[in-house]
Amino acid sequence: MDFSEDILCTKSHEYILKGDLCTVGLTDYAIDQLGDIVFLELPEVGDEFAKGDVFANIESVKAASEIYMPVSGKIAEVNTALIESPEALNEDTYENGWLVKIEPTGDEDEFADLLTYTEYKEEVE
Amino acid sequence: MVKETYLHDKHVALGAKMVDFAGWHMPVQYSSIIEEHKTVRENVGLFDVSHMGEVFVSGKDATAFLNKVVPQDIEKLAYEKAVYCQLPNKNGGLIDDLIIYKLGIEYYLVICNASRIDEDLNWLVRNKRGMNVKIDNQSHNYSLLAIQGPRAIDLVRKMGYNIPSQQSFTIKPAIIEGIKLLASRTGYTGEDGFELLVENEYSEFLWDKILEEGKEFGIKPIGLGARDTLRLEAALHLYGNDLDENTTPVEAGLSWSIPKDKTADYNGKEIIMSQIANGVSKKLVGLAMLDKNIARHGYDVYFNGEKAGHITSGCVSPSTGKNIALAYVKNIKEICTDAVVQVMIREKLHDARVVKRPFVQKRNRVK
Repeated sequence: MDFSEDILCTKSHEYILKGDLCTVGLTDYAIDQLGDIVFLELPEVGDEFAKGDVFANIESVKAASEIYMPVSGKIAEVNTALIESPEALNEDTYENGWLVKIEPTGDEDEFADLLTYTEYKEEVE
Repeated sequence: MVKETYLHDKHVALGAKMVDFAGWHMPVQYSSIIEEHKTVRENVGLFDVSHMGEVFVSGKDATAFLNKVVPQDIEKLAYEKAVYCQLPNKNGGLIDDLIIYKLGIEYYLVICNASRIDEDLNWLVRNKRGMNVKIDNQSHNYSLLAIQGPRAIDLVRKMGYNIPSQQSFTIKPAIIEGIKLLASRTGYTGEDGFELLVENEYSEFLWDKILEEGKEFGIKPIGLGARDTLRLEAALHLYGNDLDENTTPVEAGLSWSIPKDKTADYNGKEIIMSQIANGVSKKLVGLAMLDKNIARHGYDVYFNGEKAGHITSGCVSPSTGKNIALAYVKNIKEICTDAVVQVMIREKLHDARVVKRPFVQKRNRVK
């Protein structure tokens, strides 16, 4: 499945796919830049975060990085399988490599400054 | 301005991710750090380490001069032998760590860290006053290619390397693929291997040739990312992380490299000898994390609920599957092998066990 038409991205490399629950993950570009993923720390179901908050941590062999909420929301689902095998993110960061699903709790305005995938690619490349 | 080695375009053409390191635009990885790491442990890898400094020291007083600036005994260094050295300041703190090679009578090659060339040269010049010594920085004229791994010897032999029994930590003029170069049986990976010092104009040809001839041995180009995980598993110090101007070689666990019977005076000798005799207040230890968290440079280390030190290097260890680190901790007897300490990671304490260094044993002895 190709999400790239539908996702919105942040400049800090998160993507969000809108739906009843919104799916949040890291872009393929971010994963490629990080290299071998070796550690992932995800929040608990029910945790609430504001737009821009750190909600997860990821580490590659090279470095540790923080992952930020693209919009405000409450964590509804967590991709727990990834915590056991974070290296799977190197294969696929969209279909099976999503991190959390959230219930947005902020205004619709919060989506306004997100980039389309095409805009995002232009920004980072 | 960021500098480029003569092999820069080769790295870009191979699809390497490039980063700025010590003022140089260098490949951090070509494919995957873990894959590259395993290639060096199991087969053979090729590194461009041309960013490192090459300084030739010669003149009537060359031996006496070097003897004055390092704790190691250069008087006793035999022709074509190499010795791992440190460059202490007056307080015993380290300006750099070096390999010194004896190339001839009063003629030496000093290999230093890219990030420290300027500081080293400045210090060497300050120390040569009144002595008949020529300090010749040739870093810009030479490329350094490292071939590392258990198949390194098979590869260089296939390429016409003409020295049947070169020992570890020696340097020899050699001919490989018709190119005259200096072949040193040294490295920074914990594996057997060679470092080839070659004039810049031959480096691209040699790089291509090594990759071509190495195919049958499973060769891959290796970036600085895997160089770091390889050297950390071998518990080899990285200047700037594990060594600095406020740390003495005794604190850094390098007393093994310092002769106790050297008669000549050298910078920091009094402090270094007194620390060897009387002990030090901090010490370097190896740690293995007891959970999946990774200790990184700068994280605090705790023992019995109190801050006891800090991490200087840390990474995943692809060879052991553990997460490993080097840390400076208070030198108390309770923090010993098998003791459990804690590392503060993202505001939580995570257990780590003190383990012996190196983290991996050298399996591939020099044949």
